[in-house]
Amino acid sequence: MVGTAVERVAVLTGWGDGLGALPENAARAAAGRPVIPIPRPDLGGDRFRRATRECLLGIAAVDALLRDGGMSREAIRGTSTALIYATGGAYGASNAAFIAGSSSRVAVGDTRETRHGSSWAGALNFPYTAPSAMAGEVAIEFGLTGQYGILIGGAVAAIDALWQATRLLAGGRCARALVLAVETFEECEPLYARGRWLVRRPLVEAAACALLVPGARSARYDVPREPAALETLARVRAGETFACAPLIALALARNGGTMEPISVTGEWRGRRAGLHWE
Amino acid sequence: MPGATRLRAEPVTLVAAGAVTPLGADLDAFWSGLVTGSDGISAIERFPVADLRVRRAGEIKKLRPLPSVRQPACRATHLLLAAAEDLLARAAITAEPARIAVVVGTALGGVEQLERALAPEGRPRHAAAAFYDTPTHALARRVDARGPVVTVSTACAAGATALGAAADLLRADLADVVVAGGYDALCRFVLRGFDALRSLTRDRVRPFDRRRNGLLLGEAAALVLMTRDGWSEGPTLGRLLGHASASDAAHIAAPDQNGRGLELAVRSAIDEAGLIPDDVDFVSAHGTGTPLNDRIEADVLKRTLGPRVQTIPVNSIKAGLGHTMGAGATLEAIMCLLAAREGVVPHTLGLEEPDPACDLDHVMGSPRAVHPRISLSTSLGFGGCNAALVLEGIEA
Repeated sequence: MVGTAVERVAVLTGWGDGLGALPENAARAAAGRPVIPIPRPDLGGDRFRRATRECLLGIAAVDALLRDGGMSREAIRGTSTALIYATGGAYGASNAAFIAGSSSRVAVGDTRETRHGSSWAGALNFPYTAPSAMAGEVAIEFGLTGQYGILIGGAVAAIDALWQATRLLAGGRCARALVLAVETFEECEPLYARGRWLVRRPLVEAAACALLVPGARSARYDVPREPAALETLARVRAGETFACAPLIALALARNGGTMEPISVTGEWRGRRAGLHWE
Repeated sequence: MPGATRLRAEPVTLVAAGAVTPLGADLDAFWSGLVTGSDGISAIERFPVADLRVRRAGEIKKLRPLPSVRQPACRATHLLLAAAEDLLARAAITAEPARIAVVVGTALGGVEQLERALAPEGRPRHAAAAFYDTPTHALARRVDARGPVVTVSTACAAGATALGAAADLLRADLADVVVAGGYDALCRFVLRGFDALRSLTRDRVRPFDRRRNGLLLGEAAALVLMTRDGWSEGPTLGRLLGHASASDAAHIAAPDQNGRGLELAVRSAIDEAGLIPDDVDFVSAHGTGTPLNDRIEADVLKRTLGPRVQTIPVNSIKAGLGHTMGAGATLEAIMCLLAAREGVVPHTLGLEEPDPACDLDHVMGSPRAVHPRISLSTSLGFGGCNAALVLEGIEA
């Protein structure tokens, strides 16, 4: 079994691109705004005309990773790259939009066939309601045909995704692994307002991607009670970013020059998970 | 990763299973329904469908109340907990809570609750329940799991991915016991989506039949209790030897025309199991009954298993259950192990005139008396998700 290393991390947030855009204190910088959104990335091409904002953010995060590292798309294309996607609720916007679109349908009891406009709109939009659509669009865009995983569950899911990436690398099941997290909140802000006991504020939209490769350090997973210092730091600097938080924490650690040994933790719905490179 | 030297994975044990399906309220009803050829497809009664082209599905008509004071408002949670009750009636979980993990696959989570949450009278608890991992957390509470709690959402391959992820937790010694599986509940959201895609048939589901023209949806939950080999005493169902996933990177809502992702998943899973294609005794196909899926699967099986594929029994159980999405692959894995134990492979309902393009050794017309020791189970899902499991059954 081989160890792993986090080669680089790209971070996009509602504060701007990269760690340099993060405020020192997200809560103060938000000044009472419940959500700090990211605009829809302006990716060219007809292929993206139906893609949701979260899909485009995922692609933008991988693009940023490649750009920052001076890597070509060819470097990750093919079966040797694993893709593991984590999110807490990025599927919410597409789900809510699909439900809203269907609410104007034929009244119950009307047995007419539905070969009309709204039906076709559903056909175009429905596939994007699945969380797997986000990973699918990224895989299509970058030609990623290796192992994959899609995990739901906020920061804990991202810790699980990082751990799965280390397992795939250690087992020789991939040569490199992309761990991608995307969170959007703006479209579902009223819902988050209703469930406000579940989440901290400000909710900061984010997309982050880490590239893991074989390396010297072994990774240990655990279920700690307390947050690691990086978890707290990421929350203070970025705000509540759900699954993106552990990746932002990794980026902060790299930026601070304390890459290894490193401990990242994440909390979601009263449960915490941690990953430690030793 | 073709050509790479990979380590044979440590097998893990599947101790027991529990299920709730359109064929009945527990695992016994599921199995007896399969071997007797029961049809769980019926008119949908639980929510309005009058505006949809197709109004039939594998709907569970009677869901037993849970042995708790408060019944879950979320049907997905209810299904998952009902499967847990069936599992717990068959096997006790004896590990410490910190050593119990839960890994659950789903395509839809509690999305029906989102419809309620978005209504003007929507309540906060509906919003919380709309997260896709809410049913998983309810299951974790039910089995008192304090170890890893994982929700995977690889669309209709999620029930396979969950078992693979559970096996990895055991191999890494992060848990002694994992309750793993998948679920999904029928709701208007998903019916309307598939209806709009024109994926649903007005005929019956006919996997691999030349007249096949679509799928029907179903709802179910299925769970297995997994441990490391040798950890559990007493009888077991069998072992998971290998698992692999691969992305198509081709299309969001349709499988790759050449089945490249599925082929890689199948080859990798057999490789991880430390086996060769000639070792496969039986294939539980995804077999949705859509023209494209079944042709692609048949092609992939011919390429990966070689000429011997003509003598390897193949079935699909989706015609009698509907496509149960997140539960599907777990149910199919359980079916593989029960087939080995009972010495009979259930037949593919709806298959009467095999498509020459899908020329495999289909189990059709009636169940086949055979003890498949090594089974291969395949799954495909939205987003280009493909997964394969290699299982080893135990003859009774």
